[in-house]
Amino acid sequence: MRRQFVLTLALMPITFGLWYAAGTLFAGPAVWLCDVILSGAYPGVIDDIGLQGLKLVAITQFGDLDGQLMRAQDAGNQIALQINTRLVSYSIAFYAALLLASNLKDGVYKFCVGLAWLWITMAFGLASIIGKDLLMMVGSPFLQAPGVPPADVLALTYQFNVLLMPTLAPVFIWFWQLRGSPLWEALEADIKRASARA
Amino acid sequence: MVRFLLLFCSVLAALFAIEMLKPVQEAVIQPFTGLLASISTAIIVPFDDAVIAQGRVLRDATSGFAVSIEAGCNGVEAAIVLIAGVVAFPATLKNKLVAIVAGFFFVQALNIVRIISLFYLGQWNYTVFEWFHLYLWPVLIMLDVLIVFAVYLRWLGKAQPAEEAPC
Repeated sequence: MRRQFVLTLALMPITFGLWYAAGTLFAGPAVWLCDVILSGAYPGVIDDIGLQGLKLVAITQFGDLDGQLMRAQDAGNQIALQINTRLVSYSIAFYAALLLASNLKDGVYKFCVGLAWLWITMAFGLASIIGKDLLMMVGSPFLQAPGVPPADVLALTYQFNVLLMPTLAPVFIWFWQLRGSPLWEALEADIKRASARA
Repeated sequence: MVRFLLLFCSVLAALFAIEMLKPVQEAVIQPFTGLLASISTAIIVPFDDAVIAQGRVLRDATSGFAVSIEAGCNGVEAAIVLIAGVVAFPATLKNKLVAIVAGFFFVQALNIVRIISLFYLGQWNYTVFEWFHLYLWPVLIMLDVLIVFAVYLRWLGKAQPAEEAPC
């Protein structure tokens, strides 16, 4: 296990460098999934979602008229939100470091599977950031829109999906994919010994 | 494994919900966050007397640069993950309590290193500060949680059975 942690730390500069260089490559599928989630969850809130460089741009159905926020058709304009996709996509760099450090069999296949799962968690993360931004910026008209949950739920999902999942999801996926590996067997022996003493 | 995951997720969700409650925020989280700022200042001051703590804000009196310790920066979320893992794993209550207290200490010790490093990185280069703040430190804190949990499992496995045996 010590080797795993040391190697993870040693590999992080490489995986984070590659993730940074890849730019939008890792964000695209998550943005598309986020569009699907929000179209279903908030049908009357988001008009369109796209990727501009590294930023997710969400065109809302709210507008601003003389400093007053209202429905876009009444305001005659639409508020757009810009979100840095790296706020959630760094989970990929972390996951890659964990996986590479374990030197698992079928590593590339496992990485692809893990990446697909991470895109799903990233999509929920981006959707939660949009929800939080709309809550802070638009407030009441957003909360009154159909399908929008109470403010507390929005805050909780933001905490969970944005502050926690980008680091917890890679650990879960990596741990699940460890099964059958020599590292897993060593860990399993530790777990069995620990459980037996309980 | 399935039992552990279900219990872990349940405890995690429950603790997160409790942490978000307004009375808990006011009575526990905000004072604790202020305490972190004070501890960070107390550590820095012997080396740099220009640093002052104002509530949750750590400020350099000379440059005027300040960092505010907000939700998500106080290590509480990482501690909640660790507590959920310890609670979900079968062990005696005593062992769980020891793990939670020691684990909380290790997570917060690294978090104070994080706060101090960010305070100086921000004064040096804002781009580097953002990188460490947004991407690298959250990963390092989660690795810390993982290491503490792995050490806990090993410690549980090696714990003397005589300790639990009836007299």
